[in-house]
Amino acid sequence: MTEANNALSPHGGSLVDRVLEPAKGKEKARVARIKLPLEGARATEIMSIAYGFFSPVDGFMGYKDVDSVCKHMRLASGYIWSIPIVFDISEGEIKEKGIKEGDTLLLTYQDQPFATLDVEEIFSYDKTLMAEKVYGTTEDKHPGVKRTYAYKDRFLGGKVTLINPPKINPPYDKYWYPPKMLRQKMAELGWTRVVAHQTRNVPHTGHEWLMKGAWFASNADAVLVSCVVGEKRVGDYIDEAIVLTHDALGETGYFKEGTHFTSILLWDMRYAGPREAVFHAIVRKNLGCTHHMFGRDHAGVGTYYSPYAAHEIFEQIPDLGIGSVLTLEWWYCPVCGEVTYSGLCGHDKERQAFSGTLIRSIIQDGVKPPRLIFRPEVFDLVMEAGDRYGFGSPFVTEEYLARRNPVISVPPMEV
Amino acid sequence: MAETYPINIWINEERLERLQQAGLADMAQEAFAGLKKLSVPTNEQQRDAILKKFPMAKFDSATTKSIELLPRDVKDKIFDLVVEKKSLDVIDAFLASA
Repeated sequence: MTEANNALSPHGGSLVDRVLEPAKGKEKARVARIKLPLEGARATEIMSIAYGFFSPVDGFMGYKDVDSVCKHMRLASGYIWSIPIVFDISEGEIKEKGIKEGDTLLLTYQDQPFATLDVEEIFSYDKTLMAEKVYGTTEDKHPGVKRTYAYKDRFLGGKVTLINPPKINPPYDKYWYPPKMLRQKMAELGWTRVVAHQTRNVPHTGHEWLMKGAWFASNADAVLVSCVVGEKRVGDYIDEAIVLTHDALGETGYFKEGTHFTSILLWDMRYAGPREAVFHAIVRKNLGCTHHMFGRDHAGVGTYYSPYAAHEIFEQIPDLGIGSVLTLEWWYCPVCGEVTYSGLCGHDKERQAFSGTLIRSIIQDGVKPPRLIFRPEVFDLVMEAGDRYGFGSPFVTEEYLARRNPVISVPPMEV
Repeated sequence: MAETYPINIWINEERLERLQQAGLADMAQEAFAGLKKLSVPTNEQQRDAILKKFPMAKFDSATTKSIELLPRDVKDKIFDLVVEKKSLDVIDAFLASA
């Protein structure tokens, strides 16, 4: 195994930039012999690669990288990497399109030229092994395992190039900060210590205090809220509500101006628990963060991982060059009369734990949560986002899944 | 005593009025400095049966150890049974009728 300096920031030492201006993109597209349409998640993964979120990954992984990531949690180059980034395809599609190693594919999205893939490798991989290594289970009830088993039987490895950068649609456009742009923004603001908060939830005060606690613990200039925008399930909060409410915590003064920034990460959660925590740390390091907060059950699902598995994994890997702020939970204590830190509050019997799920349940029952656990401005905005973007509901419905505003739109391009 | 897994029914004005009319207002517990809830207990078998019957519901295993996200109309039915039977021990009856 090659020795690699995993503490470099960005990961691997430099940001991947594989985004072409449309004029140059057209030239690249003309080289491509074969057209292949993409589905949504694949398109956003290409954006994350091309804009450098996944640095040093510069394309879809080949066999050696996939095998090394699965078995050793490292790329073949030696850099820590925890989740395979793969382009699956069926043998039938390969034959039908006549795809072979050495080809450049023109990948289309929304019926427009979008990206190219230089096919360096066509290979197979044992999906059961991949599931077991990445998720620690082979049970298809686990959403990440289910996703893995749904992969088609072959994979294409090779570099991707974004040839037709998409428009980011409102309300997400305001929060789209790829690594290079965000690093510039942080420099402009004079921020040298920034702690990342990973979220896929509307913030309750437990989240707010996790962020504030992490700010204290890391002596940070600011908190970067990095909202995961991606695959949704019925009953989740709609993406628009998540992004807008996080921003509102700053706008309404729960975080002072200059201490809080909201951005988005286009990513379908894998729920890989500790491995996803490592992935989150690397991506947020690439964004320019110096610290990352990890709470209880980070990126977990069901009971597949111990509540603090995401804390323990950082003891088992080399220094990633981003500090881990490991926190316990915050709960409401009626004796203290406040939301307080479980590591300090001694009223174990009286404590009242709350979670995003519990608050969703309260709202579904038609009740407004009290301000100690859910800010009224956040509640109002959740409801407003439901009316404006969620067809009357702040929670994902079948209608939302079918008709939601797209996060990205690919502009027309003649090739 | 065997562990139980509550279904939290959050008390809005309409539900509070019905509890008061039935003389059951004391059954509601205070929560989070301003809320009231009925915590309807389930045992392990009942919990699993409810999660199977209502797949949109979620057992919050990480934090609250409670069954959340049952649709409001389902909770209304459980609530109706609590008021009718003047008891929180209603889950077998609910499952039999659901």
